[in-house]
Amino acid sequence: MVLADYFFAPFFRRYFYYFDSYPIVIQIAILLTTIAVLATFSAYAVILYRRYAGNRHEKKLARINPDLDNYITENIILNEQLATGEPVNQIVLPMGIFEKSLYRRRWVQQATIDRIIHYRKNFGGEIGGLLKKLYIDLELDKVSFKRLKSVKWDKKVKALKELTAMDMSIADVNILPLTNSKNRELRSEARHAYIKLSKNEPFKFFDIVTEPLLMWDQLELFKIITTTKDISIPNFARWVTYSSNKSVVAFCLKLIVHYNQQQAIPAIEKLLDSKDHYLRENAINALGKLKAEDTENKLVSIYSNQPLTCQLEILKALGRMGTGNHLEFLRHEFLRSADFDVRKNAAKSIINHKADSASLLKELLDTATAENALILKHCMNPLIKY
Amino acid sequence: MQETFLERVQDFYEKLVFTYGTTLLITYAFLAALSLAAIIHFLRRNKNIDYTSMLDSPIVPGISVVAPAFNEGVTIIANVRSLLTLNYPLFEIVIINDGSTDDTLEKMIREFELVPVDFAYNIKLVSQPVRKFYKSTNEAYAKLLVIDKVNGKSKADAVNAGINACAFDYFLCTDVDCILESTTLLKLIKPVMDEEKHRVIATGATLRMANSCDIDQGVITRVRPPKQWLPRFQEMEYLRAYVLGKMGWSWINCVPNVSGGLGLFDKEIAIKAGGYDHQSFGEDMELMTRMCRYCYTNDIKYAIRYIPITLCWTEGPSTIKIFMRQRTRWSRGLAQLMFAHIKMLFNPRYGRMGMVVFPYNFFFELLAPIVEFFGVVYYITLICMNMINWQFAILLLVFVYAYSVMITTLAILWDQITFRYYKSWREVASLCLMPFFEMFIYHPMIMIFALRGYYYFITGKKHGWGSMTRKGFGGNNAGAAVAAAKP
Amino acid sequence: MNEVPAKNILIVEDDDIMLKVVERILKREGYGVEIARDGKEALQKVQDNKYALIITDLMMPYANGFEIISKVNGNAEKRTPVIILSSLGNEDSIMEGFKMGADDFLRKPVMVGELVIRVKRLIDQNK
Repeated sequence: MVLADYFFAPFFRRYFYYFDSYPIVIQIAILLTTIAVLATFSAYAVILYRRYAGNRHEKKLARINPDLDNYITENIILNEQLATGEPVNQIVLPMGIFEKSLYRRRWVQQATIDRIIHYRKNFGGEIGGLLKKLYIDLELDKVSFKRLKSVKWDKKVKALKELTAMDMSIADVNILPLTNSKNRELRSEARHAYIKLSKNEPFKFFDIVTEPLLMWDQLELFKIITTTKDISIPNFARWVTYSSNKSVVAFCLKLIVHYNQQQAIPAIEKLLDSKDHYLRENAINALGKLKAEDTENKLVSIYSNQPLTCQLEILKALGRMGTGNHLEFLRHEFLRSADFDVRKNAAKSIINHKADSASLLKELLDTATAENALILKHCMNPLIKY
Repeated sequence: MQETFLERVQDFYEKLVFTYGTTLLITYAFLAALSLAAIIHFLRRNKNIDYTSMLDSPIVPGISVVAPAFNEGVTIIANVRSLLTLNYPLFEIVIINDGSTDDTLEKMIREFELVPVDFAYNIKLVSQPVRKFYKSTNEAYAKLLVIDKVNGKSKADAVNAGINACAFDYFLCTDVDCILESTTLLKLIKPVMDEEKHRVIATGATLRMANSCDIDQGVITRVRPPKQWLPRFQEMEYLRAYVLGKMGWSWINCVPNVSGGLGLFDKEIAIKAGGYDHQSFGEDMELMTRMCRYCYTNDIKYAIRYIPITLCWTEGPSTIKIFMRQRTRWSRGLAQLMFAHIKMLFNPRYGRMGMVVFPYNFFFELLAPIVEFFGVVYYITLICMNMINWQFAILLLVFVYAYSVMITTLAILWDQITFRYYKSWREVASLCLMPFFEMFIYHPMIMIFALRGYYYFITGKKHGWGSMTRKGFGGNNAGAAVAAAKP
Repeated sequence: MNEVPAKNILIVEDDDIMLKVVERILKREGYGVEIARDGKEALQKVQDNKYALIITDLMMPYANGFEIISKVNGNAEKRTPVIILSSLGNEDSIMEGFKMGADDFLRKPVMVGELVIRVKRLIDQNK
């Protein structure tokens, strides 16, 4: 403020004859008024400039994108050699439009990268391979690798996104430091990239990570693990048993279900003794989805000591297994429980038994209270999913 | 003796109002800075996010979209259809027909091939009784559930019934007449999935006026600022409230309210907090306050997040009469809320809620119209008694004017930084013009309507409900600062 | 209802690139191709014309893919084969798609060769 006064005071003295004799409040007000007017006009200038620059960029993109589309359609998607079964790495792509000097500009290179990635998201198989070849032939990988060295974290993230999208391998020395970055976004992106691209030990960081895996990280990881082709899928039971990170365990349970790793069942069963009911809940859920019938008796035996969320999971699990061994238990819960969700889930699980529970269902429908009958009808109606 | 006492009172009053005005102006400056930081951070992260990666994921949380409809026969089909095309892998649409007296329900039954079903309905939140539940026999509309209930004379009552029936852990609360961007669910669930140390109990995004946009069968095809002056003032106000206000608060986890027009909520907390209160005139803020209170009492570290992009377009009142009704209702709701939860004010037990959100709302939302009103009265008295220093008064008035124009212009700039809304710079300019008139036209209106709301609150007048979205962060506070102008 | 050559295919897709590319691929295979960029256009087209095959995305403005399928095969005597081509890939949506009467479900990223074979098979079956 003093500094500002130093600059502005002479100015005001010239134009406001009495400036010095004004009370300090008025002096500050005059000063701030000037700043406000300047800020308002700067805001207008920035709005105009951003709109102008943005529109111009869009127009330029609109000019080159059709050329890129044409090139990619003609030379990659409808590639004649590809159609005849020629291996991808032996196909020679014509340089075509890329010989123009325009295509050596930074923003055009970026536009080309973005376009290639967009195509790769939509087209897989050999066309995906050919798109990667184009990316390398045009030396666009160098652009991405250069960006990886940027000091800005968001640029690094972008580079990692590009490189993983194109399945480029990144040397461990470049990527491992990033997996310990202070910036969370960069750290997780680097880990995702590591899992996808590292040849030796993709799941190494499951062992070391101490912070929770966010739901978003889990989503991205799940996608990477399940869609990357030549990743070797380990037995995830390892982390279920040894990891002290709750979110890693929960995440591995989801993967175990996805890959139907029956051999992991004993490890999951041990989790039922865990003190943490979030873990127990997830473990029960996984056992149900794996149809781990051997654990059925144990689930029923621990039922009464569980919190509500785990009880509901047990009921669901029995429905998923559908062995019919515990229909009497389900019936009991359905009739006796005071909790609406317990009754609803018990009913659902009884119905899930299909033919095995037909007679029980008939009996229940005939004898149930009005509310219980409604629950049964709700669960039996094919139009209602949840 | 008498003289000096009056002078002392006057002196005290002026100092008080001066402190008040200064604090408010500083708060706005802070919010502007915080919101810019929040927006830049959001944009840097958002740039690299591929929302489509959520679409084929089996591990996203499900979302129930809850939208009440009361006599919406004209637009119901297009709007429900548009809700059904939201991009998300796991969601349902729950429409509550709140005892419409027109053909809203019949139209839906016909168009979506609905049949009544036996629905096991668990009443966790109170509402007027439900008559029937409808599901479609056509698989294409399997995501749709229609609830027909007795009119409860409030949005709160209708939404409560919807929450009771919805299946997923998160629900999106909206109005049938709001138009949502197709990626709304993806973008609003993202902050929930992305939070490290807190449980995100609600997220929201910017709302804009749909008044002059081109709309084709429930889809916005061209965005425009409203052509009429009253809705255009509102667009300006909404931008300031969301892009500058709530984004700023979001950055320090102090969001006071998630608007009823568009908000994603954690169902468990909302139910445990007791759901919407049908007697409240500001039911969205009221629930938000109770949810926060619940979290504090149960030691849940919560967060409420806002994102700067516009995901919802709503029709703003275009006549003064309807506008007055809406604002009267809002301020009445605010007064109601403040008095019901006054214990939270400056109560450190309620953390940021008690020490920041509540004091801000109490002093700068609730008291602002009153302070301003007395400021104006005081000012006029001084003029009549010829006790005014015109030169200083005008200088201060100019200052407050320039400052308020700047804050609003910055809000428009922040919004333009977020995304280049509107097609031409002329449209942006038409919006930039509004802050210059705000102090003379829009702001006095809001102040008077707010006082009217307080009056009704005190006298307890019965008042029908208009289903309008509400926000916090009123206008600037010209009168108050002007009152300090006397030397 | 207009009689269109028996080998006409309708592609419904809101991603412009995808739309154009699939159009080119199928034209190269000798099929007649019509395109629709959103649900509204698609519903109009299936109402006015008869197609040998429909390839549709699931999430589009105005009407989703399920609605289009139900409109096509809701009350027709001879049903039109449908391929869903979508990035929605969770089990639920796939199941829903088949329940609705889709004949095939292709997830993005698409293998072009696979797409062509499936199109050919469905059209030949329905001759």
